Formats: sequence, structure tokens, C-alpha cells
Amino acid sequence: MKVDSKHSTKIISIIMIIVTLIVCAPFYVSFVYSVKTNQDITFTRLAWPKIMHWANYTKAIEMSNFFKALYNTIITTVPTVIIVTLFSIMAAYVIARNNTKGYNRLYLFLVGAIVIPFQAIMLPLYINLKNWGMLNTVEGFVLVKSGSLIAITILLVTGFVKTVPYELEEAATIDGATYPYVFFNIVVPLLKPIVLTSLIINAVYTWNDFQIALVILQKDYARTLPLTQFFFFSEHSIQLNLAFAAFNLSMIPLLVIYLIFQKYIVEGITSGAVKG
Amino acid sequence: MQTKIKRKNIWDLMFVAPACVLFFVFIILPFLQGIPYSFRDWDGFSPQINWVNFKNYINIFKDRMIYSSSWHTLQFTFVEVVFSNVFGLLFALGVKRKSKTNNILRTLLFMPFVISMVLASFIWSYVYSDVIAPIFNTRSILGNTTWVMTGLGFISVWRDAGYCMVIYIAALNAIPSSFYEAASIEGATRRRQFKSITIPMIVPAITANVSLLLSWGLKVFDYPFSITGGGPGTASTTINLYIYNNIFGFYHAGYGQALAIIFTIVIFLITTVVAKTLRSKETEL
Repeated sequence: MKVDSKHSTKIISIIMIIVTLIVCAPFYVSFVYSVKTNQDITFTRLAWPKIMHWANYTKAIEMSNFFKALYNTIITTVPTVIIVTLFSIMAAYVIARNNTKGYNRLYLFLVGAIVIPFQAIMLPLYINLKNWGMLNTVEGFVLVKSGSLIAITILLVTGFVKTVPYELEEAATIDGATYPYVFFNIVVPLLKPIVLTSLIINAVYTWNDFQIALVILQKDYARTLPLTQFFFFSEHSIQLNLAFAAFNLSMIPLLVIYLIFQKYIVEGITSGAVKG
Repeated sequence: MQTKIKRKNIWDLMFVAPACVLFFVFIILPFLQGIPYSFRDWDGFSPQINWVNFKNYINIFKDRMIYSSSWHTLQFTFVEVVFSNVFGLLFALGVKRKSKTNNILRTLLFMPFVISMVLASFIWSYVYSDVIAPIFNTRSILGNTTWVMTGLGFISVWRDAGYCMVIYIAALNAIPSSFYEAASIEGATRRRQFKSITIPMIVPAITANVSLLLSWGLKVFDYPFSITGGGPGTASTTINLYIYNNIFGFYHAGYGQALAIIFTIVIFLITTVVAKTLRSKETEL
């Protein structure tokens, strides 16, 4: 019996390694195409390149205005994740700690409003931002993206706050600590895992945003990475190697962040989904 | 004491306020502003306003594109929801044991979720044309009017199966092993155990995954917009893409807005009904 189960775990492992290789195969295609010349792509297709043409990357950086797009992405992503995370933990704390009619209704309202598709608000939003002079600006994108992420983040965090013990806060309040002091010095440290999750997962969502950027960052000086990729690809689809080099460049920063912090992503989405 | 409670209530309000203001100004307000637009015959920018009452709403039922784009959206949603969950659960069963190898495999299986839908689409357009099509000696699935939605659906399965897997792993590992021990003492087969213990115990995770992917699937936009442009012909035009085209492409802003409002209601109904049905299963079992 024991030998048998050992055997079967080994077989499962081998199957899963093969499955994982298949799942990761598109990354291989993307890499191989990015370091070949276009002739190589036509003739040798997916074979491992004999000579690495790293020059594709420098060319792609130049042609796709990569650093400008990277800069735009970073200056929009950083404030967005900070705003979303800070406002969400504050609101989620109040909602989780007050089992009153008002706050329960607010919670249900937020849950319901998550279904609103961006398509239903994009035109009024476009007109408002235009009137407020926020079209094609960092502030405009940051505020809209924050608004679109805040409800779902509140749901994620509320589930977590409910699992955090109440006694410490109570003791501190009795000792005369002020409300903000209790929140920032006692509650927030206990929320550290979910704060990290919120920062990372919202960073992924913001970094990859396409739909909102498409509507409110139309001018090329304001374009973020996904938008730049989109336009670069439509203009240079013949120069496949450069297109793929540009894809990989925009993937790398996010993949690095993911590999460093993956623990928090995994823990966070499960705590929200299973408990909440 | 009274003043202390009052003070706490004020702090509570001040703490929920920033999130609520942001949510109201950038989501709820534009949604409400959009309602009057839907009663106009309007191109989206000219100052002239023609009120047409319910004409836009009536036209929705006469528009043949609505039926085809609804069908495309449903096809995509079906592939996305069913296969992401099936693969997600199979992956989870495969790598749920704690080990170094499994940790690496989990990390890699989740990785596609981190890249943008636009990039996933571009890469997959070449995976379909340069890798998969030659194997079956055909042309890319994305150029086929019958199968293009399935093709796009599987790009999303590739991205989202890892997400489902993560949630299933947590649910599977939360099942006490004593359940399985008791079952095997009583002579239950592996298959029987899976049906009577595993599945009922992970219904909450299934509910969470299905509801989430359902709303992603119904709102699909990035995939068809970035690689097929809704084509060939209109074979991959989804509801969201059709709304976008009406508002920003064809200058039928009033009509597009009416469509978007109806679509919001439909998504709300579908996701509520499905989530309620699944949730009732949770208590039954």
C-alpha cells in the first residue's frame, strides 16, 4: 500500500511537470521569437536560436518609446495602489467592526456595484474628465482606476479584518488611545499580510489595465505599457521579432515582482475568496 | 460615555468617507449621468440634444447584432468558466501536496495570470498560427468564424486556470484528512471519496470561482479588441466590444449607453441567480 501511494505521487509529479511545461510554452515562443531575426523566424520557427540577437531589444526600446511608457505605467500604478489600499483598509475596518444596518447596507451596495461594467460609465466619465481637465493626465487615470478597484478590495480586506482579534483594540481604547492611533499602530500591523496582497494584486491589475487607459489616456505622451504594446503591435506586426522583444520587456518588471512576492498573492486571494 | 460613542461614530464615518467619495464620484455618478444619455439620439459630442424617449431601448430588440454578440459573449463565457475551473481543479489536485517541486509548479502555473490580456492575446495569436495550426494542418482558429470565440476563450483559460487553482488548493488543503481516513476504513473507493467528500467540501470555492469568472467572461473586451478586432467579419464581436464601438466608433452614443444599461442589469441578474443557486447547494450538502 505504501509503495503504491509513493509510486502514484511520483507519476502525478511527472504528469504535472509536463502540464506545467505546456502551460509555460507560450513564454518560450515569446522568448525565442524575440531573439531571432525575421528570416530565422520564418525558416527555423520555434527551434532554439543559434545566435541570440539581443539587439532586437535595444531596437524595440527605441521604436516603442519603451522608457516613456514604463515611466507612465509606474507613475500611475504607484499612487493607485497606495490610494486603493489605504482607503480600502480604512473602510473595511469600519465595515467589519460595525455590525449595524447602515454599514451592512453599504457593504451589500459595494458588492452589487462591482458588476457595473466599465462600458456603462465610460462616456459620462470621459465627458466629466474632459470638463475637469483630467483627460490624458496621471491624476485622471489614478482616480478612475482607484474607483474601479476600491469596491473589490474592500470586500477582500473586510473578510480578513473579521478574522483579526478585537481584544487588543479594546484594551488600547480603554487605556485612552485615540481612534487613529489604534487603527494605525495596532490594527494595521495585524493587517500586514492583506495589505501586501492588496498592494501587489492591485499593482498587477493597474499595470495591466487596458480598457480604462484606452478611453482616458489616448494621447501618445500619456500612454501606459499595455496601450503602447497595442499600438506598437498594430503598427509593426511585420517586424515580429521586435514586437516580441517589446512584449517581453513589458512583462519582465511584473514577473519579477510576482516571483518575489508570490506568497502574498496566493495567501491573499484565498483568504478573500474562501472566507469572504 | 455618550460623547465617547459619538466621537467613535464620527471617526467611523471619516474612515469610510474617502473610499465612498472615490467610489461615488468615479463609478456611481457616471453611471447615473449615463441614464439620461440613453434616452437621446446623440453622437456623443455635439451640443444638440434630441430626446427620443424609449426608442433606443426598443431598437435593442430589433438589432440583429445584439443577438450575435450575445451569442459570442456566452460562448466565450462558457469556455472561460467551465475550462478554467476544470483545469484549475485538476492542477490543484496535482500540486496540492506540500513539496519543493510543487511549490515551483504552482508558481509557474499561476504565472500567466500576471501578464496583461493584451499581451496574452498577442502571444497566443502566434501560438495558434505557428504552433497549434501546423499540428492539425489547418489555419489559425482565430480566423475561423465558427471557432474564433472558443479560441479566444482558451486564451483566458490559459490566464485564469492558475487563479482558480490557487483557490482550489486552499479549499482542498482545508479538508480534514480524518474524513478520508474514515472513508477508506469503511471501504470507499477513491472515486467515491472524491464525489462524496472532496466535491461537497469545495463547493464554497467553486461558488467563488464560478461567480468571479462569470463576471469576467460576460464583460470580455480586451481579448477580441486586441487581436481579432471583433472579426473575422463580426464573428468575435462581444457585447462589451459592440457597446464600445457604438459609443466611440459609430457615434451612436445614446444607443450604446442604453445598451450598456441593459447589459449592466443582465449581468447583475445572471451573476446573482448563479451565485444564489450555488450558495443554496452549499447548505444542502
